[in-house]
Amino acid sequence: MNFNYTIAMLLIALGFYCLLVKRNLIKLIIGLSVMTDGIHLFLISMGYRTGGIAPIVTSELSSNLSNFASRAVDPLPQALVLTSIVINICILALALSLSIYAYRHYGTLDPYKLRRLRE
Amino acid sequence: MIPHAPILAIVLPLFAAFLMPLVGLLSKRYNAAKACDWFAIAAMIGTILLVADMAPTVWGGHILTYKLGGWSPPWGINLAIDGLSIQMALMIAGLGTLVIIYSAGYMQRDTRKDLFYALTLLAITGMMGIVLTGDIFNFYVFLEIMSVSSYALIAFRRDSNAIEAGIKYLFIGSLGTSLILMSVAMLYSFVGSLNIADLGAKLATYREGAQPVPAILIASLALFVTGVMIKVAMVPFHAWLADAFTAAPTTISALLAGPGAVVGIYWVARLPYLPFGLPVGIILISLGLLSMVVGVLMALTQHDFKRMLAYHVISQKGYMVLGIGLGTLGSVLGAQGGLFHLLNHSTYKCMLFMCAGAVLFRTGSQKFDELGGLGKNMPVTALTFLIGALAISGIPPLNGFVSKYIIYLGGVEAGLPIVTAIAVLVSALTFASFFKAFSSVFLGQRSERLRETQEAPKLMLFPMLMMAVICVAIGLLPALGFNIVGPAQSAAENSARYISQVIGGI
Amino acid sequence: MAGMTVIVRTISRLLFPFIFLFGVYVVFHGHLTPGGGFPGGVIIAASVVTLILAYGIERAQERVSFLSSEVLDVIGSAAIAIIGLLGILLGTFFLQNVFPLGGLGQLFSGGNFLPLYLGVGVKVAGGILLIFYAMLFALWSEKE
Repeated sequence: MNFNYTIAMLLIALGFYCLLVKRNLIKLIIGLSVMTDGIHLFLISMGYRTGGIAPIVTSELSSNLSNFASRAVDPLPQALVLTSIVINICILALALSLSIYAYRHYGTLDPYKLRRLRE
Repeated sequence: MIPHAPILAIVLPLFAAFLMPLVGLLSKRYNAAKACDWFAIAAMIGTILLVADMAPTVWGGHILTYKLGGWSPPWGINLAIDGLSIQMALMIAGLGTLVIIYSAGYMQRDTRKDLFYALTLLAITGMMGIVLTGDIFNFYVFLEIMSVSSYALIAFRRDSNAIEAGIKYLFIGSLGTSLILMSVAMLYSFVGSLNIADLGAKLATYREGAQPVPAILIASLALFVTGVMIKVAMVPFHAWLADAFTAAPTTISALLAGPGAVVGIYWVARLPYLPFGLPVGIILISLGLLSMVVGVLMALTQHDFKRMLAYHVISQKGYMVLGIGLGTLGSVLGAQGGLFHLLNHSTYKCMLFMCAGAVLFRTGSQKFDELGGLGKNMPVTALTFLIGALAISGIPPLNGFVSKYIIYLGGVEAGLPIVTAIAVLVSALTFASFFKAFSSVFLGQRSERLRETQEAPKLMLFPMLMMAVICVAIGLLPALGFNIVGPAQSAAENSARYISQVIGGI
Repeated sequence: MAGMTVIVRTISRLLFPFIFLFGVYVVFHGHLTPGGGFPGGVIIAASVVTLILAYGIERAQERVSFLSSEVLDVIGSAAIAIIGLLGILLGTFFLQNVFPLGGLGQLFSGGNFLPLYLGVGVKVAGGILLIFYAMLFALWSEKE
């Protein structure tokens, strides 16, 4: 089980490193997306139960519901992650559209060159 | 009381935002130019009537709860409105209405106004949702709704400055909300519930110090505080605010500076009590002091009208965070001062941004070097700017003086007179900065190019005058403000009553 | 934006109904199997986007224009809000269950899950199409 958490933390660290170091707007967006994917993996792994089954009630499981409830993994983090993925799609779309306009105005995708407001 | 008023206060702006593109299409077909404006204003007036309807019940000491979908907490999402939430909701609804009336005048020359109103109403929905909800993941969803709408609104005019400001705000803001999501994840794994009242009940043993606090709770608290401080733009996370407020259309600066500050300070006021209850007072006091000083020092050197006002926003938010931090050290006056300052600041900061917008609308420039001598051309704008400038510097008999004086007294009451000294110094520097601004824009030599500028249109003057009246009224009769702020401060502190009424009473 | 070669056009025209049907299946069975409104809406939008990429934007504008995707968007979101308000109109809370709960595993069961997922599916499909068109127009007008 620690494998999941290790990979999640690795993804968050990689995404954060990308946000800090890279000099291209598209790479920054990829870094943000990788970081949020790491957080989602962390959240889903939180609900795992060792030797568990999927939380879907089929007809053969519906006879013994208490046994099902003690064996199923937690479905609440999965719903939270679904909501968060949709929110991140919207942020991704907005960031990409802004990058299109930034390229048109400045001619470059280097975030260090977007400095017209400072002068 | 209107039944279902809590959820209708959130659904009404949301529904209006969803229908806005349809209204835009119909107005183009039937050639009714102002249909979008009147639709948005009607939706906001409905919201403020709903919120005003809920207020007397909450001020009577009864916490309003509303179960969404009929599911009781802690299994379902519920809305919980106590004194603190109702102060924030009144400010968001009232100032939001005035900002939309102002935008009807300011955005006259823009196309695609239906998209602008849809995004603004979505941002207001997000703000109302944050202050009215009782579930911590629901708070995260409404925070993202408000943030994404404001990223799009700042880049609305798509010129090079706006795109740059929008990109910077997007990356820093997304980082902040990711940290809050991580904190909610850790909290859920430790406690097993997402309801704020339920979290407060289950973490109560750590609040009294009965058991040592586990590391995951400290990590969760640290991430949450960092995320909220990024959203409130405290130093050292303030880098996005100056660019965003300079490049945005001025009504969006007014919207984000007025009601937008409310949601951040709402959570800062809840932080020491619910759901964690761990001591964060030192962090709040130190960040508040740092922001006050850095904000006003950077504002003194600016040449751009809106950029100077943006740095003053950082400085004044430092006052509020400082006041709430003093409240955790046992000073009731400090917490009341912080919340009262939020009430006053939103009013006069909105008004100041609206004056800057009026000047920009008529003259086309926002730099001090190009403006001057506009006092004769725009008398009403000059008068409201003067009232705002005196209010922000804390000069009696306006409302800024009342709240700043309470914070000064709070500093002494908490046993830290050095805080009072620094706060008085920052007020003096604020007055100097606004004296410079007023004299360079409205007094002095008027250039040839500006000879024909007229007064701002009436739709823009009406909200400015309303806010000026509110400033003077609260300054002369502080009891008006205390009726709102007193219950807010006692509700924020009294977390046991919140928990028992939300979980026990359902 | 011009279209692609004959091979791509033929294959995408043959594949479009199957992908579309799969997306509709995922939306309709959201309360029984994993999926629901969001992934189903994205699959529906992806099938239409495949056609747009294969045939070029001028021909696609005649069939699925910018205006119709805006209208789809508004219809989807208004449907969700109206279903929520149905709860209030019939006397109970917002988003309360007012549709019949069927048996286990049947298609028309689960209360107001199915209508909500339909609304979400329509809105997400319209929304993703709208995002695609907006980005294309931003790049398109730059080339002129």
